Amino acid sequence: MTTYTICVFTENTIGILNKITTILTRRRINIDSLTVSETERKGISRFTIVIRHESREAVEKLVRQIRKVIEVLAVFGYLNDDIAYNEIALFKVSTPIGAKPIDIETINKVYKAWVVYWHLTYVIIQKTGTEKEIFEFFDYIKPHEILEFVRSGRVAVSKSPQTLVDYLPEAEWEYYQ
Amino acid sequence: MEFNENQTETVPVAETVAAVAKPELVNGSHAVIRSLIEEGVETIFGYPGGAIMPVYDAIYDYQDQIDHILVRHEQGAAHAAEGYARVSGKVGVCLVTSGPGATNLVTGIADAIIDSTPLVCVVGQVAAHLLGTDAFQETDVIGITIPITKWNYQITRADEIPEIMAKAFYIAKSGRPGPVLIDITKNAQNELMSREFTYKKCENLISYRPRLSPKVEQVEAAAKLINEAKKPFIFVGHGVRISHAENELLQFIEKTDIPAASTLLGLSSVSVDHPNYVGWLGMHGNYGTNVLTNQCDLIIAIGMRFDDRVTGDVNRYAKQAKVVHIEIDPAEIGKIVKADAPVVGDAKLALEMLLPLVKENSHKEWIAEFKKFDAIEDEKITQPELAPTTEKIKMAEVIRTLSNKTNGEAVVLADVGQHQMMTARYYQFKKPGSFITSGGLGTMGYALPAAFGAKVGAPDREVVAFIGDGCFQMTIQELGTIAQSGLPVKIIILNNNFLGMVRQWQQLFHQKRYSFVELQNPDFITIGKGFGIDGHTCSVREDLNASLDKMLASDKPYLLEVIVEKEENVFPMVPTGACVSDIRLE
Repeated sequence: MTTYTICVFTENTIGILNKITTILTRRRINIDSLTVSETERKGISRFTIVIRHESREAVEKLVRQIRKVIEVLAVFGYLNDDIAYNEIALFKVSTPIGAKPIDIETINKVYKAWVVYWHLTYVIIQKTGTEKEIFEFFDYIKPHEILEFVRSGRVAVSKSPQTLVDYLPEAEWEYYQ
Repeated sequence: MEFNENQTETVPVAETVAAVAKPELVNGSHAVIRSLIEEGVETIFGYPGGAIMPVYDAIYDYQDQIDHILVRHEQGAAHAAEGYARVSGKVGVCLVTSGPGATNLVTGIADAIIDSTPLVCVVGQVAAHLLGTDAFQETDVIGITIPITKWNYQITRADEIPEIMAKAFYIAKSGRPGPVLIDITKNAQNELMSREFTYKKCENLISYRPRLSPKVEQVEAAAKLINEAKKPFIFVGHGVRISHAENELLQFIEKTDIPAASTLLGLSSVSVDHPNYVGWLGMHGNYGTNVLTNQCDLIIAIGMRFDDRVTGDVNRYAKQAKVVHIEIDPAEIGKIVKADAPVVGDAKLALEMLLPLVKENSHKEWIAEFKKFDAIEDEKITQPELAPTTEKIKMAEVIRTLSNKTNGEAVVLADVGQHQMMTARYYQFKKPGSFITSGGLGTMGYALPAAFGAKVGAPDREVVAFIGDGCFQMTIQELGTIAQSGLPVKIIILNNNFLGMVRQWQQLFHQKRYSFVELQNPDFITIGKGFGIDGHTCSVREDLNASLDKMLASDKPYLLEVIVEKEENVFPMVPTGACVSDIRLE
């Protein structure tokens, strides 16, 4: 199984998520993670969909099917090497009175994670990184009892110098804000 | 008194009105109908109901500019619009209400997308403030139709209507055609537009840009393969008809002398009389076309998508051959069969570009190979089917007799099943745009409504529908539409009292365990008479000619029931999972 990151640029209208996911559902492809946000261009959304698949050919066919959705401007399929990517994770970690205190220095310096909220009996730690880095930190902090753990989906940009505008030169794009 | 004085001093009332006249504002419903008129729509196939009543009220005012045919079930509206679109090349339009009206369209929309048929379905919806409240006849029709439409959109304000309708028509008919659904909330139908109604046809969209003209490099690469091939083979698909490429195809065939076969929906694009026409491809196609698919050295596929009914086992399909694939939908390239030379673009433009690049050639010996297989098929299957010794009439002889009587030039519809395959085999199509059937979805009940849709689209042509007794009962109520509209559609029921194709499979692959395939049928002719449609039952061979003559002579709708052999099978046949060259003759 290879991880593929599919970046879909669409017009920002109601229901596009449904139009895209139905294409994956029909082909029994499970979504590992999904993020959606507006791009640097007004009215243009960017979907970052992470899937795992055995067949590159099947992923290429999937990309072509997604391109057929009328509101879709462009679709790119990437391997991990093609992109810079990251996720954010939040850990709610138990710190009851009398327990072994958490080692803030190690958390900051070794794991590049930050405490974003302090409570009497717990802290919330934010860790940014790849899936692998986040799970390394997960293993480190686990002995302190993780009360809650959440990961965002992957966000990714390609390492290619080309931008969306290079693929759609005739479109008149307005920068966001 | 003052009031009166003032009035006498001012300019006449009529002039005042003219001076400050604001443009007349129309409501959303009028905007819908005026948009349809702007798009050149002549006929709407529809059925009214609560959430679409404002639009129906508007149609009342435009009856001199636009026709409306009242179907008996919304599925009939969708298939009629498909029949109309398929025969005319124009966009078929349906108008229905929300909830069940919309869901009844679903089968027709699914049929249209898989057979690349342009439809615009205008659907009523509950008022915007009621969306999501489970209001009466509220259904999430946008959600339901996402996977089966080329595009869908919900309009909640009257002002959106002209632009969205223009977009709908552009998307439906351009590129690879398909169905578009526009859901319009009732408040948008009722409210006045805030500005004057103006209409501008849509000509392009940023996000949707179908490639019409293929890339020169792709065409050159295709021409090179074509010029080098010793045993090239052309596959004619539906795309040839859709892009009106029949003439260009003919020139291409004649210059290169390459044999050409057709898919189910490609039938009639090349006349059966043409010396290079070698027959039909696929599961019940011809012997030679299937066997030689696995012997040719180049496939030139034009506007077709290598459906599994064409390829059989794709792992043993034409592995020896290179493939030139001319196709407007890039997602079809390499979807099933790898293309050595893809040509993405409109078939007509691609053939125009290819023509000067391909060399004149002769493939007489190669074409003669097909004829050898034809001789075997003729002896083992075709002749026994056409001149049977059985007591009961066979489907093939009905179809061929009609073919001869109409000189192969009628618009022929077939429903789904054995009679469909028999129609494809035995009607001798000589005029392009003559065969309309549900290919991809295989929708039983398609032919009756599609037939009157086709008659609307081609009023000057003879329209004949072959329908099985099972299929007929799926949309039988559309006899009412035919009777009311008076459209002189000729309907032939090939009645074998069975769901014949399922029975055939049960016989061949399920040890004759006939599970729920025998039908107790009503008296179809009496039913027809009840609707006011004249008819006749033909049960003996001696009566066949006279029955068909009487049907063709009628200038009204006519229902002919032919009682045919109960347990006949369609052959040749490529069983599911077999490869095309393992086609069975018995």
